[in-house]
Amino acid sequence: MTYEEFADSRLGALLRYAVMLTGDPHQAQDLVQDTMVRVQLNWRRVARTDSPERYVRRMLTNQYVDWRRGSWARRVLLRGEPDAAVPAPTDHAQSAVDRDQVWSWLSRLPRRQRATLVLRYYEDLPDAEIAEILGCAVGTVRSCISRALATLRAEYVEACS
Amino acid sequence: MIEDDLRAAFARHETLTPPTGPLRAAIERTVVRRRRRRLQLRLSGTALALVVATLVGFTAFTPDRPQTATLLPQPAASTPTGALNVLLVGADGPADRPYRFADSVLLVHVPADRSRLYLVSLPRDLEVSIPGEGKDKLNAALFLGAGEPRPDLARGYALIRRVVSDTTGVRIDAGAVLTSPVLRRLADAVGGVPVCLPAEVRSAHTRRVFPAGCQQLDGPASVDLLRQRYGLPDGSLDRDRNAQRYAAGLLRRVDERGVLTNPVLLSTLLTQVGTGLVTDPGETSLPALLSVAAKATGAAPVAVVLPVKYGEKPSYRFRLDPARGPGFLTALREDRLGEWTAAHPDQVTGLG
Repeated sequence: MTYEEFADSRLGALLRYAVMLTGDPHQAQDLVQDTMVRVQLNWRRVARTDSPERYVRRMLTNQYVDWRRGSWARRVLLRGEPDAAVPAPTDHAQSAVDRDQVWSWLSRLPRRQRATLVLRYYEDLPDAEIAEILGCAVGTVRSCISRALATLRAEYVEACS
Repeated sequence: MIEDDLRAAFARHETLTPPTGPLRAAIERTVVRRRRRRLQLRLSGTALALVVATLVGFTAFTPDRPQTATLLPQPAASTPTGALNVLLVGADGPADRPYRFADSVLLVHVPADRSRLYLVSLPRDLEVSIPGEGKDKLNAALFLGAGEPRPDLARGYALIRRVVSDTTGVRIDAGAVLTSPVLRRLADAVGGVPVCLPAEVRSAHTRRVFPAGCQQLDGPASVDLLRQRYGLPDGSLDRDRNAQRYAAGLLRRVDERGVLTNPVLLSTLLTQVGTGLVTDPGETSLPALLSVAAKATGAAPVAVVLPVKYGEKPSYRFRLDPARGPGFLTALREDRLGEWTAAHPDQVTGLG
């Protein structure tokens, strides 16, 4: 597979994944751009792996989790409200607000926890594969997810009471 | 439940995803820019850097350019003649650490007669003029050039190369920055590096004790030794001398293994060292550099620390020794280091 073929077929999916990780289209673009630049510069090594896609996803996830130096990581979004660009679903209004609250709560989670949630509930990956992407044990993935869910549930209780 | 809400939230926000077209174009632009700027990091650059590393082992390699600077590299058709000067910069830590200083600066001088190599250490505390920054220590040049918050060692190298060139009056046409991980891999790849120390060195960072006398250092021990300056009688100057001893040992090791003249061995070694090496190949090809290196390893190298004196104020900075410094630099520029070292045997580092 050439880099071009890879980018043609996988860039969209990676970008969607980055949006779920960062919660912000601009940060997602920066994240994917930084990762894909490295991918292209090191394409031969990436192509040698069993699954280039999994390898790149791992690069992107690690960059998201680890990157403390970059400017985007420190960028503060001055927009606390749910994004207006998201089309309101046909459900009644209150439920839509509730669910966008879930989205905004996600942004308060530690990055690693958010990454596990995205990998499990958006990418629908099995725990073993999530562990491989994050470079940790399966047990760590499970405890990460349960801690993240517990945090979200606590937010739920607080919002509803 | 919360899981279903999460799935729904993710699915609903898929519409946030921007189009891929502009992103694809931005990636291409960045790659093109970085490939150009990165001084050919991966291909010939890595190979060249390895040559640099083989020559001195620690910092960077710079062959003398026969003509004034041109925008495009000349096709390196023939073996370079005339004296060569190679700059090796040793920097602590991984390539993307935000703050990083050039704590070993080694200029490798290959005389026109290729009789031997001269290892000239430039003390990191030497006071130099840094373009745009005023007076500072030499080791700050790498850090100031690399920038923040995302340091670029290639730019750091470019600045320190200019500073060294301005300070010594020597032209520098190629070079490299070697970080600790690169050095560690290199030392392990050649099967350890022999070093002969005149006195015991106790690590301030680990429990290692390097006894006086000759020993073989693996990768981690190499990095450890090259960091030590506390407790040495002459501080960072003694560390520079140990770096020279190390460089001489590494050079001998690489030469013994035939890497300089065997492309297959060289290629294997390059693969083992991997990435992270920032190099400036200048205008010389790898085979040309190798042939020069192989010719000059016939005799043991001679190592000298640039003659310096402490400045008057307690700034911990060195100035060029007014008595011996200018003469040394003239000898370096005029390719007469053989005469100079013969006349000043007390300035030559014993390599054991």
